[in-house]
Amino acid sequence: MRRGAVTVSKMKELNLKVNGEQWEVQAKDFDTLLDVLRRELALTGTKSNCLEGECGVCAVLVNGRVVNSCILLAAQCEGAEITTIEGMADGEKLHALQQSFLDRGAVQCGYCIPGMIMSAAGFLKENPSPTPDEIREGLCGTLCRCTGYTKIVEAVHEAAQNMSAK
Amino acid sequence: MNASPPMYDVVGKRLNRLDGAGKVTGAAVYASDFSLPGMLHGRILRSPHPHAKIMRLDATAARKLPGVRAIVTGASQKLNRFGNFIKDFEVFATDRVYHIGQAIAGVAADSEYAAEQALKAIEVEYEPLPAVFDAIDALAQDAALVHPEWQNLKAAPIINRDGNRCGRTVIKFGDVEQGFRDSYRVYEHVFRTSPVHAGYTEPRVAVAQWSGPDQATVWCNAPLLFDTQSALAEIFGLPASHIRVVVPGIGGGFGGKLRLGMEHYAMALARAAKRPVRVMSTSEEELTAALFRQPATIELKTGVDREGRIVAKKGRIVVDSGACSGSGPLVASTATMILAGPYRIPNAEIEGVAVYTNNHPNGSVRAPSGPMPNFATESQMDMIAEDLGLDPLEIRMRNILREGDIAVNGQKMTSVGLAECLEKAAACIDWSQRKPEQSRGKGLACGWWMTSRGSSGAYLKLMQDGTLTMMVGVVEMGTGALTGAAQVVAEEMGMQLFDINVVSADSLTTPYDFGSQGSRTMFAVANASREAARDLLTKMRTRAAKALGADEGALEMREKAFWNGEKKITFAELAAQANAAVGGLIAEATYIAPAVEHGAARVQNHFSPSWPSPSFHVHATDVSVDEVLGEVTINRYVVAQDVGYAINPTYLEGQLEGGAVQGVGQALFEEIIMVNGQVQNGNLTDYKMPTSMDVPPIEVILVTHPSVAGPYGAKGVGEPPSIQPPAAVANAVAAACGKRIMQLPITAEKILMD
Repeated sequence: MRRGAVTVSKMKELNLKVNGEQWEVQAKDFDTLLDVLRRELALTGTKSNCLEGECGVCAVLVNGRVVNSCILLAAQCEGAEITTIEGMADGEKLHALQQSFLDRGAVQCGYCIPGMIMSAAGFLKENPSPTPDEIREGLCGTLCRCTGYTKIVEAVHEAAQNMSAK
Repeated sequence: MNASPPMYDVVGKRLNRLDGAGKVTGAAVYASDFSLPGMLHGRILRSPHPHAKIMRLDATAARKLPGVRAIVTGASQKLNRFGNFIKDFEVFATDRVYHIGQAIAGVAADSEYAAEQALKAIEVEYEPLPAVFDAIDALAQDAALVHPEWQNLKAAPIINRDGNRCGRTVIKFGDVEQGFRDSYRVYEHVFRTSPVHAGYTEPRVAVAQWSGPDQATVWCNAPLLFDTQSALAEIFGLPASHIRVVVPGIGGGFGGKLRLGMEHYAMALARAAKRPVRVMSTSEEELTAALFRQPATIELKTGVDREGRIVAKKGRIVVDSGACSGSGPLVASTATMILAGPYRIPNAEIEGVAVYTNNHPNGSVRAPSGPMPNFATESQMDMIAEDLGLDPLEIRMRNILREGDIAVNGQKMTSVGLAECLEKAAACIDWSQRKPEQSRGKGLACGWWMTSRGSSGAYLKLMQDGTLTMMVGVVEMGTGALTGAAQVVAEEMGMQLFDINVVSADSLTTPYDFGSQGSRTMFAVANASREAARDLLTKMRTRAAKALGADEGALEMREKAFWNGEKKITFAELAAQANAAVGGLIAEATYIAPAVEHGAARVQNHFSPSWPSPSFHVHATDVSVDEVLGEVTINRYVVAQDVGYAINPTYLEGQLEGGAVQGVGQALFEEIIMVNGQVQNGNLTDYKMPTSMDVPPIEVILVTHPSVAGPYGAKGVGEPPSIQPPAAVANAVAAACGKRIMQLPITAEKILMD
């Protein structure tokens, strides 16, 4: 006889450090980091699309490295430092990347922009003064349909210069 | 035409967009972020058969699963058929399925996971029926009918249909056969294009909630508030005003969200469950069950004289609408204009045909009728030039429409920036060096498009803090259209851009609008809002004169105040006074672009026989072809577009850059691969969209031949940049390696194979 019912795993407690704050959240074993960020922490700035690590709109930093949060289990992030788009600005002051994305007109619909900015933030940690071609390589994990990438690359280039000038 | 434009304070400036801050901080709320207390999650069961009779559908076991709150099937809820031009869509199949991916049932459950499990427990038995998958085959007399009952399906009067043919448009004038006899040479080719996805990064999503037995609200990412509202009203048999459509925010559309996405499913499930229900399409559903750009077969015959001037042009474009007509009849119709192209043509017979097949229904993608016929026309133009020993730039200069020429639809052309676009694009790409080295070459393609009509309304109110609130019935798709319209209003009001508060995207609170489509949003909304701003200023001036005890004519407006010598009253004071005394200062206006004369005798069953404020564009590209691997590298890409006037050059460039890259995707990579109606590449690894590494920086040249009707002379800009890339790239590839590609996309296999 066909049975559709499955055993759904129980919620477990998980300690996550997100944007510098400690959180105790409820998560199932198969919950992804994206699930927990959006559902449990209501940090909906991190966007959801393909859920199979192909489009990159869900990119966040885990211990400073860019990851697609849709294919990383939340349980694997216990004790890690997680940074999302909500953690980028310093109070009212936008992060250099956020400011340059605005000023260079690199934002259209904006849906990929949190992922794009987090990808850029992680990339610039590894390569603080990249060439435009290196930026293109660094950002190629996040798809943007609106901009054609021209202004995004300009924005990241400008932000890199502003960040290293400090 | 290009006299130096007057200087303005707000329009023409590179100002940051109004909605930008929320988008870079993650605070912006999109439809996919929206949720309600007690909200359930819906999933859709879809047909695995391209054409079959449903023999049995049993959801008994599924209903008993934990967390399942409601199941809806074609039998459980009476829902009316829908469709823009022909009522050939069903929400859930009733007795027959006619394409893979057709919705059969919906489940609402406590979690997406539980809903997914329930889908697997719904038992369905099918009896397969004969199917047809090729649009040309479907036109044959003995082809299996996709809708045997087609004559019973309600259709708009403009639709010319017969069996599997669900639309036919003709442009005809002169004597095309005599023209071919008079020609020096006649060329005949067949081109083909593939279905592509619109590529928005936010999947289609809807949350529906019923507030009573006959009233519902849907939060979704639909660009057309009022079209969505009336489609839902039709399906559920309700007055349109009983359905409120709200778009919290939208992650791209590019035409792919114009028609119903998840809204009807969410509403049906929410009604059954008596709880709010959210339905979001999965990535796989997006690539297997979304409304794609129609694939097309284009037959094109052109006769020219010794100098390469067109004498006669006969063409037919057949678009595969899929199992429901969707946008197909409109796409095929408008495609006739693109197939003719922006050229002087003395004799023509151009036909656009839409056809039913058992493939997934298709919809609209940015410039829905554009790239397919443009690929044919502009490829053939280069083939003719090569045969005659002419430069591809020169053959176009000899044929293009110029000021005062009559186009194929009988319309007299004005404000034609095409020659300037050709000259500037060619100069920018260094056209004199067309083949700079082995395996490297340059190509160009030109085109035209319209600024779609359809009306817009605007409400304005002066706020107590001296700012202005503007309420409009469109959705900001990301183009910056509403920032542009607000710049126009601010200019009129003597305000700054950030003094304008924009309210939009709610069918209940905003005035009617034809919606965010057809390259018209900024154009029409700015015109309506500007008119309303002028009315509001008149009212403000009258009250200011009274308050200052002066003649209206003596007042000077500056710094958000009216001045009479040294005495002034600020906008904020005016608003406060009026709020207390007369219910505030408000104004409203509506706009529709004036009709354009065309030759009615030349067209039959044409959806868009005249082209308001046409735009003109030329793309030029420099590519290298790896002749061992077949790989194409785009070294440079130039877009020259006659935009009329640039209200905000930054976002205008953004449209041209993004549109060109979207078009490069269709040129080189993107193809929904279907075998017998089944998509083979339903994920973003196998369906390849351009990444930042696949394209160079796009170089943009703004040409400005102002439109009389446009705000400050602006023309529609959003769709055109996606039209020319396939042809421009194909022509450059041919120049680089001698290989002429007749079918999109231009893959390595096609370049390497004979």
